Amino acid sequence: MWGAKRPNSRRSASIGIVSVALLVASACSGSSSTAAPAATTAPGATAATTALTGDLTWWGWTPTADLATQMIAGFNKVYPNVKVTFVSKPIDSYDSVLGPAITSSKGPDVFNVAPGSLNGGVSQFAPGAIDMTPAITAALGSDWKTKVAPAGVDPMTVGGKLVGLQVGAVYSGWMWINQDIFDKYSLKAPTTLAEWKTVCSTLKTNGVGCFVQGAGQWAFDMDTFEAICENIAPDLYTQAAQGKVKWTDPRFAQAMANWKSLFDQGIMQDGAVGLQQYPDANNLFLSGKYAMVMMGSWYTSNTVKETMVNGMTAAGVTSPTPITIMPIPFPDLAGSGKTGTMFGDADYGLAVSAKSSQQEAAKAFAIWIATSQAGQQVVANTLNLIPALKGVGAQWDQINLVNPSKQLTALQAYQTTAVSSISQRLGDVSADLNTAFRDALIGMASGQKTADQALQGLQAVQDAAK
Amino acid sequence: MSTAPAHETLGRPVNATGRPRGRSSPLGSRLSGLPWILPAIVLVIGLIYFPIGYLGYASTLNWNGFILSTPTSIGDANYAKMFGDPVFWNALWHTVFFYVITFSVQTFIGFTFAAVMHSRIRLGNLYKAIVFVPVVLAPATMAPVFRQIFDQFGQFNWLLSSIGLGSLTRPWLADPTTAMPVIMFITVWEWTGLTFVLYYAAMSQLSPEILEAARVDGAGNFRTLRSIVWPMCRGTTAALAVLGLIGALKTFDIPYLVTHGGPNHGTEFLGTYIYYTMAQGKHFGYAATLAIALLVLAVAGGVLLRISTSRSDKE
Repeated sequence: MWGAKRPNSRRSASIGIVSVALLVASACSGSSSTAAPAATTAPGATAATTALTGDLTWWGWTPTADLATQMIAGFNKVYPNVKVTFVSKPIDSYDSVLGPAITSSKGPDVFNVAPGSLNGGVSQFAPGAIDMTPAITAALGSDWKTKVAPAGVDPMTVGGKLVGLQVGAVYSGWMWINQDIFDKYSLKAPTTLAEWKTVCSTLKTNGVGCFVQGAGQWAFDMDTFEAICENIAPDLYTQAAQGKVKWTDPRFAQAMANWKSLFDQGIMQDGAVGLQQYPDANNLFLSGKYAMVMMGSWYTSNTVKETMVNGMTAAGVTSPTPITIMPIPFPDLAGSGKTGTMFGDADYGLAVSAKSSQQEAAKAFAIWIATSQAGQQVVANTLNLIPALKGVGAQWDQINLVNPSKQLTALQAYQTTAVSSISQRLGDVSADLNTAFRDALIGMASGQKTADQALQGLQAVQDAAK
Repeated sequence: MSTAPAHETLGRPVNATGRPRGRSSPLGSRLSGLPWILPAIVLVIGLIYFPIGYLGYASTLNWNGFILSTPTSIGDANYAKMFGDPVFWNALWHTVFFYVITFSVQTFIGFTFAAVMHSRIRLGNLYKAIVFVPVVLAPATMAPVFRQIFDQFGQFNWLLSSIGLGSLTRPWLADPTTAMPVIMFITVWEWTGLTFVLYYAAMSQLSPEILEAARVDGAGNFRTLRSIVWPMCRGTTAALAVLGLIGALKTFDIPYLVTHGGPNHGTEFLGTYIYYTMAQGKHFGYAATLAIALLVLAVAGGVLLRISTSRSDKE
């Protein structure tokens, strides 16, 4: 059950299994990353975990530095002698810098990979990573596939090789609103296009921006477009990405019309295609200049008081008072009544570089983060991801929400909806389809493409891939 | 060539072919010098020509660019794709347009400012420094500033509203028809200082007697500039034209940082398109093809400009 705590006995057993596995693996490999047992033991550590030493470098475009610090701190409670340094790389240039780096032993020991073809595409970097199947089998048993979310199995496997261990999943399809602003103007979350326009009108009258999107960063346009498609027919978008439905299907023409209507009817802010989602739209929302934004489940971390304060400070707010943000279903633009669904897949997995000279320590880190109860609990409690290991959920009583009385129930319902999603987000989107989406959605938004031209561009890519 | 005068090199007499007089040049003596230049040849070939050759080879591949991935040879398919790629032709057109406008504006402002600075004005050194400062500022540091200035809620729109031109306010970076002029404005802002410095140096080399003669003949300031100074700065203009062309073809940082080549390829240049194709599109082979096209255009453009200016020099 998502959200349920696990008994401590299971936690101890897991750690024990990992420890034995690591001892065996270490003995076989003779890796220089293992050393004599340390003189001191940290809380939660065993002799085996304490004996493991290393100085690892972990590259990723996510998580944020403060969340990575929390994860590493949790790991070091069990593995006190393995130092891990997280190096955050810009998402846009991640592939460019990672490619050369992992062909050298001087590169990262652990690096992020993701399903699909965007940054850190698992199929692209598979040759530079070791197979994690033996490690996860040792940690979770031969039935490990039943113990982790499906998004972390096939989408992370290339040619039978488990390239990365899924840390957690992200979902999108809902929006986030600034509840403080909505309360101030006695507004309710819009459920239809008409209500949305009314909300925007009221906000604009009061000098507040309505909905902000960095439409120049089209990965987020794809989220909005998929949400519109889900509203028309759930899973339609995923089926098209898998080639089961043509992009020229009339339902996509309706979706394109709905997408364009956001720009034509005053929902999207002026100049949306000139902005990036990060940092522009994110900063505008967190600084309270706009009341609504299209973000996914990763934004849940902003319901934590400290994370929100950090985010607002980064957005340029001085002495910020944390704002209350709430997830709301995407409004029913199509008038179908089908609202509230989400879509998602693994956000990232941890891969161990084939060139790393500290593979045992690196495997221990990846295994602990992705498969141990304690590691996944740290992930869950950051609220950045939905944990990969089944049965682990956020410990809400230990999370310092900005406004628990308003947020707690809504967030629990939000996460329940997320994990029950059936549609994929980016996992089936090839690099060429991704490029075609850029041209289609921004072309439509800027009035330089018709819906037919946009959809034919998408279908042409799909046809070429056959 | 046979009519060319003999030259003196390091005090040794040479004939019209450049060889030392009174001394034969057998193959053996030429080869004897080879070891001395071999390190330089190896360096030049290794650092410059090998990567270019490899780029040419990569342009025949279908490859995602990850060195551990296996590429597939596809012959000239990438070139065929490039010639049918509307984004490539758009980027090329943008480059031409961008070059003509930015070169013209920079030349006009740089030349005018250099001429003004050669007159005796107060605080001249301060003005020179102010004009040159943008040249030394990194585009990465200035890009967020210009994104803010030309944002919907930016200072430029505020300025327009403040002077009663509120009807002209718009999100400047969100419309291809306004985003490109913004990119050109930033480029002119950044590089006019260099144009100014080069013209200023060129004007410093002009003989005062010639200018004095023009004065004596009754030429005013404008006539002197147009008929004396401008023609005598032709070499500088030619050099700036070549540098500007190569710079335009390599344009990357400002459009990438300010508009990401958008919206809808509205500010796409070969540089941004190559980067996107390689880094995000994962088509390293096609990106190499585009880079080869850029190289050919840069060399051809430079040669054509050089020929053009050489002819006008002779005339």
